[in-house]
Amino acid sequence: MALLEASGISVSFGGNQVLDQVSLSVDAGTVTGLIGPNGAGKTTLFNVITGLLDPKGGRVILDGRDVTKAGPAVRARRGLSRTYQQLELFTSLSVRDNVRVAGEIRNAWGRRFRINVKSETDRVMGLLGLEDVADREVGELPTARARIIEVARALMTKPRVLLLDEPASGQTESETADFGRLLSQLVKEDELAICLVEHDVSLVMGVCATIHVLDYGQIIATGPPEQIRLEPAVIDAYLGSTEGVG
Amino acid sequence: MHLFLSYTIIGLVTGAVYGIAASGLVLTYTTSGIFNFAQGALAMLGAYGYWQFRYGWNWPAPVALILVILVLAPLLGALLYLGIMRGLRNTAEVTKIVVTVSVMLGIIALAQWIWSPTTPRNDIPFFGVAAKFKFLGVYVTDHEVIALGAAVLIGLGMRYLFQRTRTGVAMRAVVDNPALLELNGGRPNRLAAISWALGGMLAVLAGILVTPISGGGLDVNALTLLVLDAIAAAMFGRLRSLPRTFVGAIVLGLASSYVLAYFPTTWSWASNFRISLPMISLFVVLLVLPQDRLRGAVLLRTRERFKVPSLRSAGSWALVLVAVVLLLEQIMTTEAISALTVGMAFAIIALSLTLLTGYAGEINLAPVSLGAIATIFVFHLGLSGIGLHARITIGGILIGVAAAAVIGGLIALPALRLRGLYLALATLAFGVFVSDMIIADVNPHILPIFHTHFSIFTNGALNIPKVKVGPLDLAAPKAFLTTVTIVFVIIGIGLIALRHSGYGRRLAAMKDSPAASATLGQNLVKLKLSVFVLSAAIAGLGGILVSSASITVNANSYIIYISLTLVMLTVVGGIGNVAGALIGGVLAGVGFQAITSTFQNIYSLHGGPWNFVANLTLVAPAAIGVSIGRNPSGSVGQIVAGYAPLWRAKPVLAGGILLEVAAYLLVVTKFMSNWWFVLATTIIALGLPLVGRLLMPGAFAPPPATGSPPTSSPAPVVEAPASLSGAAAAGGSVRMGFEGGPNNGPA
Repeated sequence: MALLEASGISVSFGGNQVLDQVSLSVDAGTVTGLIGPNGAGKTTLFNVITGLLDPKGGRVILDGRDVTKAGPAVRARRGLSRTYQQLELFTSLSVRDNVRVAGEIRNAWGRRFRINVKSETDRVMGLLGLEDVADREVGELPTARARIIEVARALMTKPRVLLLDEPASGQTESETADFGRLLSQLVKEDELAICLVEHDVSLVMGVCATIHVLDYGQIIATGPPEQIRLEPAVIDAYLGSTEGVG
Repeated sequence: MHLFLSYTIIGLVTGAVYGIAASGLVLTYTTSGIFNFAQGALAMLGAYGYWQFRYGWNWPAPVALILVILVLAPLLGALLYLGIMRGLRNTAEVTKIVVTVSVMLGIIALAQWIWSPTTPRNDIPFFGVAAKFKFLGVYVTDHEVIALGAAVLIGLGMRYLFQRTRTGVAMRAVVDNPALLELNGGRPNRLAAISWALGGMLAVLAGILVTPISGGGLDVNALTLLVLDAIAAAMFGRLRSLPRTFVGAIVLGLASSYVLAYFPTTWSWASNFRISLPMISLFVVLLVLPQDRLRGAVLLRTRERFKVPSLRSAGSWALVLVAVVLLLEQIMTTEAISALTVGMAFAIIALSLTLLTGYAGEINLAPVSLGAIATIFVFHLGLSGIGLHARITIGGILIGVAAAAVIGGLIALPALRLRGLYLALATLAFGVFVSDMIIADVNPHILPIFHTHFSIFTNGALNIPKVKVGPLDLAAPKAFLTTVTIVFVIIGIGLIALRHSGYGRRLAAMKDSPAASATLGQNLVKLKLSVFVLSAAIAGLGGILVSSASITVNANSYIIYISLTLVMLTVVGGIGNVAGALIGGVLAGVGFQAITSTFQNIYSLHGGPWNFVANLTLVAPAAIGVSIGRNPSGSVGQIVAGYAPLWRAKPVLAGGILLEVAAYLLVVTKFMSNWWFVLATTIIALGLPLVGRLLMPGAFAPPPATGSPPTSSPAPVVEAPASLSGAAAAGGSVRMGFEGGPNNGPA
């Protein structure tokens, strides 16, 4: 049983079909990739899954429960967390406070969710190597670093399903390699289910167990990396063009 | 049937006028993203302008109409956009709202300056009162036909504009994505300027049409509040759809007409109810509106920046403030002490905005009305003793504060699911509702169950005594001022502590990115409700203290413009800072009135240009409010930046303090009058940075740039005092409160 299951999701903006019957599932302990050219609908799908956008059709099942009608906060309590491709950091808070406040939000869920925010913040900041910028304003940091803060913040709510929207864009090759190792470690140790949207092919192919390919609002292929790599439709739509593969 | 028909026609005509005003509102909002709270003020200005040409100078009606509606109105609208609104890109919603509210207040002050409110003025219906004909047995005036015809033409014209013309289609595009439109060769700024010109025309047309229908007398305040009818109508169309807006306008017009026709005249509240209909319907519509999509942080940084002081520095400044107030009490007259007490109590109401708007990014346009609610509860339930021995009990304060908190929460609740603008609209409607329905309830009527005579705002004026807490009787003016100052300080420090807590960080997170907050599991409605209730409680407490310091409160104490001025000046002071609340509160509570009356006194003694100056100070607050678009973070940050180098120029600072102490001693020993003291303080305050710069340029050299945020370059030193120069003497002295020099209220 998949931890997160989205089935038959359809969204249209003013007659423009952005997602058409998209289905996707993410299992615990694995990284699932979601790739596709710009404008394919990846972020829109994340918005539907997290409850920021109501779909025209389809269902979102989180840990066996139908959350299609639930708001974003309720889904977060059920273990869903995400990062944003267009950064959504809290600009009036320092880097450390950005991470810390996520834990404080979790603590406001209720007594049984309570964590030790201070020690958890220290742990997550260390895990993602953010100690050196802890007291800086988030607006001062380069985008690649800011994306890592988004990841740290998302981890603070102790999610079971984590949606990452281009977390590694802007990183150097060695940073990306480190980041890939971190993702593998997270899914293994914490039994996380991660859904990764990323343009960096080496990262996606390296860490994902399954990859979904989205093009023009439709899933055109699903399978393990070695199969996706050879799929003609995928090469046509995405890998074939050098654009965005970088 | 006869009655029904004639009231239906009146209702349709009223609705038509609402529709015209509302369509202008929707048009400007959708194309520029700025909600024009000054729409009613423009209508008012248009009605007065038309009166001036038509009846003041006896021009022929067509010439006056063409000049006002087709030339001056679009010009004014376009100028407003190009001169002011265009600069509001990348500012928070609060800033946008405050700027148009400032424009509204500025137009009101200007109109009262040009057309003295004591002279009655009347507009006559088009073609005279006698121009009417019989239709199905009831009389219809030509004016009414013109109003209806204009509304129909405008409705059809707008439809044509949006569906068929290039400009109209581009206007629809600008709503969705101005950046994209620009990439495709559209010019969003030009389109927005056109829409503001059209919006100005529609507002002015509505103002000219509505005056003869609603009795003919021109009234600055009533015409300005036409914006509320327009807002209520626009709500039917979710501030977007023009056809639905017109439907809403007609519904409102008919409803108010039928209330007039069919409610028994023995119901004393019926006419208040009719006036309040738009406000009530606004709330009903709020309840049924579907939830908005959550907004993300569109920008990595908006232009507003606030530094949160540490508790330690807040504590030291608090001690300085209390010490300054204690010293001033020794030299001030009793009247001056009372006035400063009112100002300080207003500053407490302003603190409710620091919490709500500064920390949480939500808006309340009627904080003083919550103070009115608390005051009413205190008056009915919280007094002990009679006559001169009457006192407010501590229990009374608790009841009043709790009432403000509960009612505030109930008011806010329907708007909290929606964008911040809707909360601003809901609170504005609430503020006017309090004035029109609650404070207007002055005549005793018999309560249905209790069978006693009761009215909410008994006889139109409530005497609010001083507070007594156990053995502590605050009837003495000095004791009361000291206490109010200490209450301000305690709440201020409490707020700073709150901002440093997890709750405060959650508020900041919600303000910066509601979307990210929600996906981290923050229940936004719950958090907004909690902060609104807390801020309403603070506003309630401040309101009780204002009433108590004012001794008597009446309907004029709670007109909506007082709240709006307070909000505006608090944002000018710095909505994210406790010090900004002090500046805004004292200026709104007493500062500007004191300055204006000073110049009026000088004029009555010496003549000369001083009346002009006095009028200028009436317009000044609004002018400063408009300037917030240029400096959305308020003045506190600038002032601090201007004075901060003095810490490094210790000898200069010490010299300044010594001079100030000497001046104070001269006053205490009666060698110098209070006025000279105010003057000396102002000169020292303004001169200190300049002297420091001359004597110790090293201390004022810009420090080597290390990690200073790129967008918020510190303002030049001289600019800090200049930014408040409109506030003249009192502005200078108020500012001193946080700069270490003695403070002085208006004497």
